[in-house]
Amino acid sequence: MTSSVATSEHETGSLRDRVMDLVRATEIDGRLLGMIVTLIGIEIGFGLYTGGSILSPVNLLTFATQAVQIAIIATGMVLVIVSRNIDLSVGSVLGVVAMTYAVLMHEVFPTTIGVDTPYGWLIALGAGLLIGIILGAIQGFLIAYMKIPSFVVTLGGLLAFRGLVFDISGGSTQAPDDTQFVVLGGGPLGSLGGTISWAFGAVIIVAIALYLYYNRRQRRRFGFPVRPMWAEVGIGVVGLLIVVGGVAISNAYHWPAGLIEQYAAQHGISPEGLVIEAGVPWPAVILLAVTLVMTFLATKRKFGRYVYAIGGNPEAAELGGINTRWTIMKIYILMGILCAISAAISSAQINGATNDLGNGYELLVISAAVIGGTSFAGGVGTIPGAVLGAIVIYALRYNLQYIGLPSNNQDIVIAVVLIAAVAFDTYSRRNAT
Amino acid sequence: MSVQQQPEPRPPAAPPPGGAGAANVTPAAVAGGATAPLVEMRHISVAFGGVKAVDNVSIDVRPGEVVGLVGGNGAGKSTLMRSLSGAHKADSGEILIDGKPVTIANPRDAKNAGIETIYQTLALADNINAPANLFLGREILTGVGTLDDSAMEDATRKVMGRLNPNFKRFRSPVRNLSGGQRQSVAIARAVHFNAKVLIMDEPTAALGPAETEQVRELIRQLKSEGLGIFLVSHDIHDVIDLAERISVMYHGRLVGTVDKTDVTIDEVLGMIILGQPPDKLNREQIQSLR
Amino acid sequence: MRKRLLAMATLTVLVFAACNSSGTGGSGAPGGTGAAGGGCLVGVSWNNYDQERWKKADEPAIKKAIEAGGGTYTSTDAHDASEQQNKDIDTLINKGVKVIILLAKDAASITPAVTKAEQAGIQIIGYDRLIEDEKALYITFNNKRVGTIMAQELLAVQPTGNYAIIKGDPGDANAKFLRDGMDEGGLKAAVDSGKVKIVGEQNTPNWDTTGAKNEMQAILNANNNKVDAVLSENDGMATGVSQALQAVGLNIPLSGQDGDAAALNRVALGQQTVSVWKNAFALGETAGNAAIQMCAGTKLADVKAPSDLPDASKPADLASHPFTTPGGKTVTSFILNPTPIKKDNLSAVIDSGWVTKDQVCAKVTPGSVTPC
Ligand SMILES: Nc1ncnc2c1ncn2[C@@H]1O[C@H](COP(=O)(O)OP(=O)(O)OP(=O)(O)O)[C@@H](O)[C@H]1O
Ligand SMILES: [Mg+2]
Repeated sequence: MTSSVATSEHETGSLRDRVMDLVRATEIDGRLLGMIVTLIGIEIGFGLYTGGSILSPVNLLTFATQAVQIAIIATGMVLVIVSRNIDLSVGSVLGVVAMTYAVLMHEVFPTTIGVDTPYGWLIALGAGLLIGIILGAIQGFLIAYMKIPSFVVTLGGLLAFRGLVFDISGGSTQAPDDTQFVVLGGGPLGSLGGTISWAFGAVIIVAIALYLYYNRRQRRRFGFPVRPMWAEVGIGVVGLLIVVGGVAISNAYHWPAGLIEQYAAQHGISPEGLVIEAGVPWPAVILLAVTLVMTFLATKRKFGRYVYAIGGNPEAAELGGINTRWTIMKIYILMGILCAISAAISSAQINGATNDLGNGYELLVISAAVIGGTSFAGGVGTIPGAVLGAIVIYALRYNLQYIGLPSNNQDIVIAVVLIAAVAFDTYSRRNAT
Repeated sequence: MSVQQQPEPRPPAAPPPGGAGAANVTPAAVAGGATAPLVEMRHISVAFGGVKAVDNVSIDVRPGEVVGLVGGNGAGKSTLMRSLSGAHKADSGEILIDGKPVTIANPRDAKNAGIETIYQTLALADNINAPANLFLGREILTGVGTLDDSAMEDATRKVMGRLNPNFKRFRSPVRNLSGGQRQSVAIARAVHFNAKVLIMDEPTAALGPAETEQVRELIRQLKSEGLGIFLVSHDIHDVIDLAERISVMYHGRLVGTVDKTDVTIDEVLGMIILGQPPDKLNREQIQSLR
Repeated sequence: MRKRLLAMATLTVLVFAACNSSGTGGSGAPGGTGAAGGGCLVGVSWNNYDQERWKKADEPAIKKAIEAGGGTYTSTDAHDASEQQNKDIDTLINKGVKVIILLAKDAASITPAVTKAEQAGIQIIGYDRLIEDEKALYITFNNKRVGTIMAQELLAVQPTGNYAIIKGDPGDANAKFLRDGMDEGGLKAAVDSGKVKIVGEQNTPNWDTTGAKNEMQAILNANNNKVDAVLSENDGMATGVSQALQAVGLNIPLSGQDGDAAALNRVALGQQTVSVWKNAFALGETAGNAAIQMCAGTKLADVKAPSDLPDASKPADLASHPFTTPGGKTVTSFILNPTPIKKDNLSAVIDSGWVTKDQVCAKVTPGSVTPC
């Protein structure tokens, strides 16, 4: 009963056709593959230019960590754009929440619960999350129930919430944050460390295996065609290699000398020969979790199904009896939550909050989503694509900074590469169909 | 399930006036005249701005009966049906189901009342696949509350087996399907959920002859199962073939509802084109239509 | 219909909320309308009012000086956008101001609006940032000197080694002045003699904090963390730089400017060497006072700086001086002096009311520096 879906229609086809068939059998999104190829291409290119020095673990970790704030919000922007809306307010919402965190930890806590208490930073996180939800809900309500175009509402949000940042901060930079909170920002001190990183990797590998097994069983239950076994095993092995590689790279980055000396001094030991593996940075862990949860919401829950249906045909969604308004409102609430998570990382990375924090993020976030395959026509877009989109942007930016190109010329290079990437994708897709 | 492949020529052979097609009608439906209406729409009016799309129209359908709804383009057929399916609220009038007045404010109300609709526009989300469209708004969930895509696909395969056995593309976005395949999906969605009343707004407009016959067969079968069906169609032969009664609309008004056995095709055409009931039409007027 | 109205009302509220929290227009001058009884209406066009100092020092000082001279204050904020600032100037012209105090986003692109204002008989004071216009009065700090002080202070504690330079927005002339000042402060000499090596130098669009942090990370990684001092052109960027340094366990000499509370706290904590403070109270007072003099018809060359300025900021004498712009024009100017704030003179900023002791001393071990 179970037949193979890979049975090719053009067995005698060209090499290109056969490669396409291979890819199709794994059921991997071609766009995602293209992004990964682009990323690898960028790294190889800069690797050659710098004689390989740019490919060292610390460089890979640094740009990946820099991309996290944008990537997290971009996962939600995908749903916003898929539902034929837009959110221009993300940078300002992030600013409000980051400033809330910083003001609580820097000004409020010292005179109330005290500095660096074990729970203070959690209270701050909770408060920020709540504010994100409220701001998202307000905008979502205006868009979904008052039927005001999202462009207008979130443009209002962009302005109003940036103003609010100023009100909350009283105009001053608020720094520093709680010392435990700063861990969320990454860097050697904000990473899992060698051993826990391996444990973390092991958990992910088990999860991948379970997921593949569950999927296969689920399809067999109804006697549906399943992937050929080789593709199944292949995906598993690739997943394993990516996880092992990721952890190995993270652990290959060792604490820099300055930190080692501080650590040795604190523990009364000799810094000589002391090596501490940094491990997977917390922002990467958070991004992974956000990506998984968001992908789950988008593909395995009614909510996601409705978002895509609304984007594909709003009238059909309405006639299907979907509560489209509540669905739209939920998207914006979700955006508030994502902005709050991203704000925590942004604030932790500069150990405080400035009034301009998050300024201009809307463009980066939208770019990440669009480069990752989200279509402004609505209905189309994937969450992993957007995450990769953000990483590609920051890989470029970081590598150009690394080689010391002036900032204006960085912009030119990034623009050219991004347009070329999207143009290539559009071109190859047109030829494919 | 055996596939019935009728080697019928296209266009379908016109049954002789008087409806020899009655041979296909099940006895249950003939007896329908005596039963109480399943759905009754009374004095329905819908206006768009100044345009009275539906003007004080009353129609009904009984269990096991097909009521053909015909009329020229823009006569108001779809609008009337959309007010029954909850897509658009009527400005005035009443809807009764099993004799009891009900409020149908949105598509969900209609579905809860057992009314399923095949919209003229199909109402499919192009970017998702057939199972997702079929279960849109009524997804099957697993024990932990996630979408059970496999179960939905399985159910879709089963319905499709009945409707259009050649349909194979269960994983493609419906955007990639042909017009007829898309129509099959819309029909499958309407018949899957055990409706009491079915609204079919031009259900065969995009179908090939074999698929059209499949749908005809389906209609007969559903009728025999006791469903009440509103069939909107421009194919007068189809209507004569399948319907017990025919309601004719003209510029938003109801010209009249006639028993198929009481009229000729020409008389129905006269009602559609001239907007007059058969007794008001004289021989020359009908003749002029020829 | 009702729905529409409700929607409109909501939008209006939203727009007003935006205006209220981000605009500064007439926040203190009720209505901000025409000057009462022949007094002088002075308009200030802020570029980026969001930054700490304007609201805290410049604005109150300007306002105080204007009101002391019987004038009225009004203002606009361009949100860091040149086009918006051009429109803001139009707004001020239409409001009927006599003098515009202009904090220009961009010296070149503001020229059309400035010309228009002058044609309307309005006098212009270029405030804190240069505008290329001979009819304008230019009031600023010695920005080059800010860069000079930064370089001097850092070279004093770190005379040799690898230096990184995090510069401001590439479109901001100030960023360039600062950089030139650094060279004059001995950086160029140190580089030429081989004592100092510049291992990374980068402009930061919009003087963005996170952007500065990202640049610093790139420079650190490109040099295996072998960086011995960082010249950051302002405190906001120094916030990002400082975090990038701490993350890899570095505590090296770091400069900044503006006297941000967070930066002064870092100075107290020993994480930043110097924040060059431009006493904005003094700058604002000079501008407000000059505006009143110009309103009364005093010729540009005869306008005087106020005599009660703090000593550290006071220019050599109170008369205005010609200043040659990078564009080769000669403008009348008052150039005030910036004050380096280091560990040993933190009390100065607290005493002036610029920051509170709590802000400066947060998390500082009591007794480790003078005010804490
Ligand atoms: N959403 C709408 N807004 C404005 N006018 C509409 C709308 N829907 C339908 N109409 C108008 O109402 C009238 C009836 O349209 P309707 O679609 O019900 O006709 P129909 O009988 O189904 O025609 P067809 O046979 O072409 O499908 C037409 O004049 C049409 O233009
Ligand atoms: Mg119609």
